[in-house]
Amino acid sequence: MAAPAGSSIDLSAALVLAPAPLADWLVILPVAWCLVSGAVLLMLRKNLHIQPLLAILALAVLVVLDGLLLWRVIEGGPLTMVMGRWLPPFGIAFTADLTGALFALFSALVALAGGVFAVQNIDGSGRRYGFYPFLLLLMAGVSGAFLTGDIFNLYVWFEVLLISSFGLLVLGSEPKQIDGAVKYAFLNLVATTLFLIAVGYLYGLFGTLNMADIAIKAAERRADLPLMTLATLFVLAFGMKAAAFPVNFWLPASYHTPRIVVSALFAGLLTKVGIYSLLRVMVMLFPVEREELSFVIAVAAAATMLLGALGAIGQSDIRRLLGYLVVSGIGVMLAGIAVGGPGVAGAIFYALHSMVVMTALYMASGVAGRLSGTFDLNGAGGLYGRTAYFSALSLVLFLSVAGMPPFSGFWPKVMVAKAAIDIGAWWLAGSVLLTGFLTMIAVGRVWALAYWRPSTTPAGEGAGPGPAAILPLSALVLVTVLVGLFPDPLLSQIQAAASLLADPSAYIDSVFPHGAR
Amino acid sequence: MPEYLLLLLLVLPFAGSLAIASLLRTAARTLPSWLAGGVALLATILTASYYPSVTNGKVVRYEIAWLPELGLNFTLRLDGFAWLFTMLVTAIGFLVVLYARYYMSAEDPIPRFFSFLLAFMGAMLGVVLSGNIILLSIFWELTSIFSFLLIGYWYHNANARDGARMALTITGIGGFCLLVGFLLIGHIVGSYDLDRVLASGDIIREHPLYLPALVLILIGALTKSAQFPFHFWLPNAMAAPTPVSAYLHSATMVKAGVFLLVRLWPALSGTFEWFWLVGFAGISTLLLGAYFAIFQRDLKGLLAYSTISHLGLITTLLSLGSPLAAVAAIFHMVNHATFKASLFMAAGIIDHETGTRDMQKLSGLFRYLPYTASLAMVACAAMAGVPLLNGFLSKEMFFAEAVETHADSILDQALPYIATLAGAFSVAYSIRFIHTVFFGPPPTDLPKPHPHEPPRWMRFPVESLVFACLIVGIVPGLSIGPFLHTAVLSVLGPETPYYSLAVWHGFNLPLVMSIVAMLGGAALYFALHNYLARCEDGPPIFRHLRGQRIFERILVTVSWKWARWLETNIGTRRLQPQLRIVAVVAFLAAFLPLHLSGFDAKLPPVRGVDPAFVMLWIIGMLSALAAAFLAKYHRFAALLLIGGSGIVTCVTFAWLSAPDLAITQLLVEIVTTVLLLLGLRWLPKRLDKIDESATFSARLRRLRDFAIAVACGVGMSILAYTVMTLPVPDTIANFFLERAYSEGGGRNVVNVILVDFRGFDTMGEIAVLGIVALTVFALLRRFRPATESIGLPEQQRIQNAYDDAQPERNKGDTVRDYLFVPSVVMQWLFPVVITFAIYLFMRGHDLPGGGFAAGITMAIAFLLQYLAGGTRWAEDRLRILPLRWIAFGLLIAAATGAGSWFFGYPFLTSHSQYLTLPLIGKVPTASALLFDLGVFSLVVGATVLILIAIAHQSIRTYRVKAAPKTEDA
Repeated sequence: MAAPAGSSIDLSAALVLAPAPLADWLVILPVAWCLVSGAVLLMLRKNLHIQPLLAILALAVLVVLDGLLLWRVIEGGPLTMVMGRWLPPFGIAFTADLTGALFALFSALVALAGGVFAVQNIDGSGRRYGFYPFLLLLMAGVSGAFLTGDIFNLYVWFEVLLISSFGLLVLGSEPKQIDGAVKYAFLNLVATTLFLIAVGYLYGLFGTLNMADIAIKAAERRADLPLMTLATLFVLAFGMKAAAFPVNFWLPASYHTPRIVVSALFAGLLTKVGIYSLLRVMVMLFPVEREELSFVIAVAAAATMLLGALGAIGQSDIRRLLGYLVVSGIGVMLAGIAVGGPGVAGAIFYALHSMVVMTALYMASGVAGRLSGTFDLNGAGGLYGRTAYFSALSLVLFLSVAGMPPFSGFWPKVMVAKAAIDIGAWWLAGSVLLTGFLTMIAVGRVWALAYWRPSTTPAGEGAGPGPAAILPLSALVLVTVLVGLFPDPLLSQIQAAASLLADPSAYIDSVFPHGAR
Repeated sequence: MPEYLLLLLLVLPFAGSLAIASLLRTAARTLPSWLAGGVALLATILTASYYPSVTNGKVVRYEIAWLPELGLNFTLRLDGFAWLFTMLVTAIGFLVVLYARYYMSAEDPIPRFFSFLLAFMGAMLGVVLSGNIILLSIFWELTSIFSFLLIGYWYHNANARDGARMALTITGIGGFCLLVGFLLIGHIVGSYDLDRVLASGDIIREHPLYLPALVLILIGALTKSAQFPFHFWLPNAMAAPTPVSAYLHSATMVKAGVFLLVRLWPALSGTFEWFWLVGFAGISTLLLGAYFAIFQRDLKGLLAYSTISHLGLITTLLSLGSPLAAVAAIFHMVNHATFKASLFMAAGIIDHETGTRDMQKLSGLFRYLPYTASLAMVACAAMAGVPLLNGFLSKEMFFAEAVETHADSILDQALPYIATLAGAFSVAYSIRFIHTVFFGPPPTDLPKPHPHEPPRWMRFPVESLVFACLIVGIVPGLSIGPFLHTAVLSVLGPETPYYSLAVWHGFNLPLVMSIVAMLGGAALYFALHNYLARCEDGPPIFRHLRGQRIFERILVTVSWKWARWLETNIGTRRLQPQLRIVAVVAFLAAFLPLHLSGFDAKLPPVRGVDPAFVMLWIIGMLSALAAAFLAKYHRFAALLLIGGSGIVTCVTFAWLSAPDLAITQLLVEIVTTVLLLLGLRWLPKRLDKIDESATFSARLRRLRDFAIAVACGVGMSILAYTVMTLPVPDTIANFFLERAYSEGGGRNVVNVILVDFRGFDTMGEIAVLGIVALTVFALLRRFRPATESIGLPEQQRIQNAYDDAQPERNKGDTVRDYLFVPSVVMQWLFPVVITFAIYLFMRGHDLPGGGFAAGITMAIAFLLQYLAGGTRWAEDRLRILPLRWIAFGLLIAAATGAGSWFFGYPFLTSHSQYLTLPLIGKVPTASALLFDLGVFSLVVGATVLILIAIAHQSIRTYRVKAAPKTEDA
């Protein structure tokens, strides 16, 4: 507190003096927008009819914002805004590169679909106790995690999304939910704490929290710092968030308990944040350590995907089965990260695919459960004869999640398998495809039992699924079909995103323009 | 013909399929079949018109850039062989549509059927036309998917469902293997383009990855073509409607496997591995299929095994690796497609007219269905290889090749005998088909007793196919000759051998083999005649050893037992083991890399320790340990002890000159302890009983957990100490210290960090706090306490009992008067605490305090009122809307941040920096203050919301029957 106030201070040493261009605001707007609309919805808590409308509107705006952001990033490269116009690395930087913008856009799409689906799925009491504010605040956390360029700030958004997800998880307060929520909360808090420990460790080593700054310093000072422990801690913390084996138990324990739209949102959003963080930290910041850990991650990946798929086969509750499929997909993404190089693009692609498809699958399971009156495969049946359109949607999703062409799951699987073969890890490629096969057995069972088999019990609810359920489901299915048939536009961006992660010079330039450091 | 019409050829069936699918809801029954027929006919005409473009080894290519990044273009490629196959697929497709138009009954969902059938046709055309191996594998998977839907068309039937699933599983695993194989090929060749692959045969065969690639591709091809040991899905697929069987198992699905073998013949064949792998599969399939076919009772089952056997024949030919054998294979593919399609259709007619396909029930149908019977007989004769029919020609070529020595091995030497034996079997089952069904006494117990000839146009497809069999069989050189030559030329190129399609080659060894097979087959049938009329389904010996059974057993084991085992043994559902795993993994994750890299921490010696400080920490640690020890049975004591260690942390902050942290910590400790204590009220009391039955293993478990805990704790401490004692790099903290006043406009660096330097973190964190409060609120609204904790607390019960015992006291007096003086003091303190909160808030930017501390203080003011007067009393006098406070706080904070938009500065830019006005008094006018107001508001709202949520539990009534002591709660 020594420095006296005075005009002699050189402001340019501390502050960005140039005014921020309007476009830069796109980096921060998704988060700020979600926080504000979450707060507004909180104010309107008792206005049960206006809430869904406003929330859907807000989420639609979020999609537009993220779309604009992606467009800007594609056109002009990574985009940075430093909060409070402090010079980086001192202020908190928000930096959107292609990876972040892609993840943000897909998460917004999934959230919008969830918001619409919730109109039917979330009743008055769920609305009164804050479903929509929770959803918006969750999106603030998710968007923040994808767009921040500061590792401690990433931790903050992790917390925001963790706590919001906890709120969503317990909505309804069934004893079963509380049981799942306790496991979810405990294990995730441990993971978040591990992350915090790693951040503290990192700050101790580098004295900075800005990711671009860390990337520079890690490259310069790698030789004389014990970065390996740091890397393993990050891998563990994010791996746990992503539900990788052997720290994946929280997911199957909790994902089947809440309202189906909540499960759908979780499946689409939460684990992918863990994958995104792994990409950001392990691929961009610590590539050398990732290389060294490659085998460990690959083994964890193979175990995750195979155990996930086998676990899915062993379930009789559709929602639990889907929970295991989420885990299994995480294995494929980890495999891509373990392989590196072109595998990273595969991991990003698979994550985006999984966001859309897993959300849609949970929604479909919700509709199926409502139609047949049970989520238990032993009791469900007769959907194929009753609802042709819905059955077709479900079939596309089943095939897509098993990685069958021509749907979106096929391409990332091929990319990861190809990358694995190219580095000689044929066993990993084999696991990826074996997982696809096991997944097919699992979903084939669902199809044969719940869809084909004639219903043994009288039908649950006579009416077909309402438009609030079918509309978002159709939209998500459309995404997986279009991406499957015309993958090129997305794939070229994903490959550009992956190469930007591997060589973050554009990212660093965006934070430190003209080499100003 | 322009190349782009290839795309039309491929898209046409899919478009037709979609168009028909959109008719699902309409009642139209003929429209779908007309549409499907039109599409198939158009595709046939389109294909036919391409013929001039593919003769003499010419190739039509059409390419669209699809995924250039992955080396994958949408390449369509039509050469002579593909043309021949396309013709089969489209022409037989058309006939099948026509046939199905009459076959399908009124109850079946017609649009669905034709939609799937056309889509399948499209997928099959895709396989044939792909000019890129990845594209090929995509269409390959599509054929699996649509055949799955077609086989399961009668989904009400459990056999159909199981058959469909099995077909999907087997061909699906084949498809995945094929994909890996293709990826390997792409890795070897450096391209997925089919022409490049075909041209790189030598590179592929010499590459070390040749064998794995070959094995994987063969698994793909052999599963699809139902070759031993993957043959068993095909008979189960007979649960499909007969038009589907006629299509899938003659010209398309199963032919895809051998198609692929021919397609990749130039690239993969000719090696020792190829001969053994393909040859073994082919020869065993040829023999076993034919043998099994004899003993089937189901007409379609007989045809299914016969199909398997004939595909084995083709595979065997391909294994030989000689060009002549390849010619024979291609020829037999065409011939088999024609006679087998017609036979399936004939079987369908029989089934349709009589209601059964059981050969032990069928008999003497010639008198009812003379025309159909004649057609079936000709087709059967072609299947048996009778001269003047197409089957004879290709079978003769096969025999000729079998006699020829290709590789000097046992397999090769045995081949002529095996071929003759299989030929005899095939004669036997052909005779059985004809003899049992059409001859003998009139049938007695048919489900439909009066069979008659089918409609004119249902017979037409059979007629056309049988006609083709005859034409090809009698004048092969004039009919199939040129087309076959075109196809052979495109596969073999310059290697194309001389061959003759004449019916009569002179009296040679193959002819002798044919005659032996004929006579042997006839003899075999009549020897078995009586046995077959009575026997069980399935061949002797093998009857009980069924691939299907084994497969199902494996599937159940893997899928159910292993999955269950894994879940119980690895995926525990209990929290404690999960946390244990996490702790161990975390320890290893931190420890192993350090240990393996031999990192030497070089811990600096501890110097200048103040004994008082050490004492303080010993107390803190003891409190923490004691809290952990007591947590199970004495929650109250444990809570207080946790508070104790919190105070130690607080003092430590103060000791290390961080008054801001100390104050905040202290306030947080107070609030959390009080809230936890309030919550404790609703937890059932645990009986203080040390488990005496604690066995050795339980003690061991505790010891292990203790060891894990100590290891993690010590490791964490060492890690922290190492990091903190590392030479300090140029941290951003230095910047904060330097710039807090000059640019941040505040003397309290901690506060400037919180509201300015890293204000965005704060914004996130207050959001967290708000959400936590909301969650607690949502959670507690539906909270139902355990029955034993619903009654009044023990203390109040004693006090009430005391009132009851005293005659002059009313019940509840003591409870009301209890701690009366402190209550009054607390009530009076209300304005004082609020003033203190405002004071903390205002001085925050320069001195310890700030929005967070002020907010907590303010919340304590409310807390005191609740404690002092009880929930009802406090809420009668105070109108608190905590949710509004939370929302308002978040909005203010966000609005302050967004306000800098109007000044052209980034989010959360503080305004004091360009405000040149002198500071007014001691209150800085930084916009950060406004932000801090948001923090303040949110913290108050959140804390009070939690407080209210807990406090309201005590004024709610619980309707629980099992609560005995609800006196006047």
